[in-house]
Amino acid sequence: MVVAFAILAAWELVTAAGVVAFRRPIYNALSLVANMLGLAVLFLILNAQFLFAAQLIVYAGAVMVLFVFIIALLNPVSDVSLGRTGNEWIYGLVFGVIFAALLGGLLVNRGLTGRQGTATPEAISAVGNVQAVGAALYTKFLFPVEVTSVLLLIAAVGAVYLAMRRIR
Amino acid sequence: MPAAYLFLLLSGALFTMGAVGFLVRHNPLVVFMCIELMLNAVNLAFAAESRFLNSLDGVVFAFLVIAVAAAEVVVGIAIIVQVYRGGRQMDVDQLDLMKE
Repeated sequence: MVVAFAILAAWELVTAAGVVAFRRPIYNALSLVANMLGLAVLFLILNAQFLFAAQLIVYAGAVMVLFVFIIALLNPVSDVSLGRTGNEWIYGLVFGVIFAALLGGLLVNRGLTGRQGTATPEAISAVGNVQAVGAALYTKFLFPVEVTSVLLLIAAVGAVYLAMRRIR
Repeated sequence: MPAAYLFLLLSGALFTMGAVGFLVRHNPLVVFMCIELMLNAVNLAFAAESRFLNSLDGVVFAFLVIAVAAAEVVVGIAIIVQVYRGGRQMDVDQLDLMKE
């Protein structure tokens, strides 16, 4: 368990650095695919099988296909400005170090102060992970789910409208 | 240190890398990928809290975040394609029509 987590954590950090630092967008996109696959395995370690499947299907499947397709369609040039100046990277790294220190301190001090719930791994595996999540989605969280469905509809209509519009 | 904090720290590190990339990169597509990285980091934190607090609320929230991120990517990429068809450069510094 610990070994698996260590390997996956290193994998996540390396691929995230690839997303940020590679110059060609297609390399960024492929790094992001690798990052999302590692994250899916982390969900599996965390006993969230439903999220594992959703992550693979929605992110690593649909979203990344969209990204790669758009990169192939637009064929953007590699980021020339990345090599030109070093200033923004210095500012970015300074920001990153400060932000990471604040975030890490906050998470370690206030990380798990919530009340313990009843959905222990044994209770979940008694009914099945997908069944338990589905029951929570359609009873306790019915309203957010309905609002999300409306949001997805609006996004689809908006994307079609933007794609059909003629540039003047 | 309990195992939960390792997941939370990994999530914080991923979020920070996404934020740095968001600030530094110029290509709008790569900026979008960095936003995805940040959303994924938050999902990891949700899943870890869900597991170690014995509650399914975090998993449900992470699922909703995935749905919202999908909607956001669709609209964002449509806008990027539209900007590109207008003959502009793929550089977020050049896209300052809203500034005036």
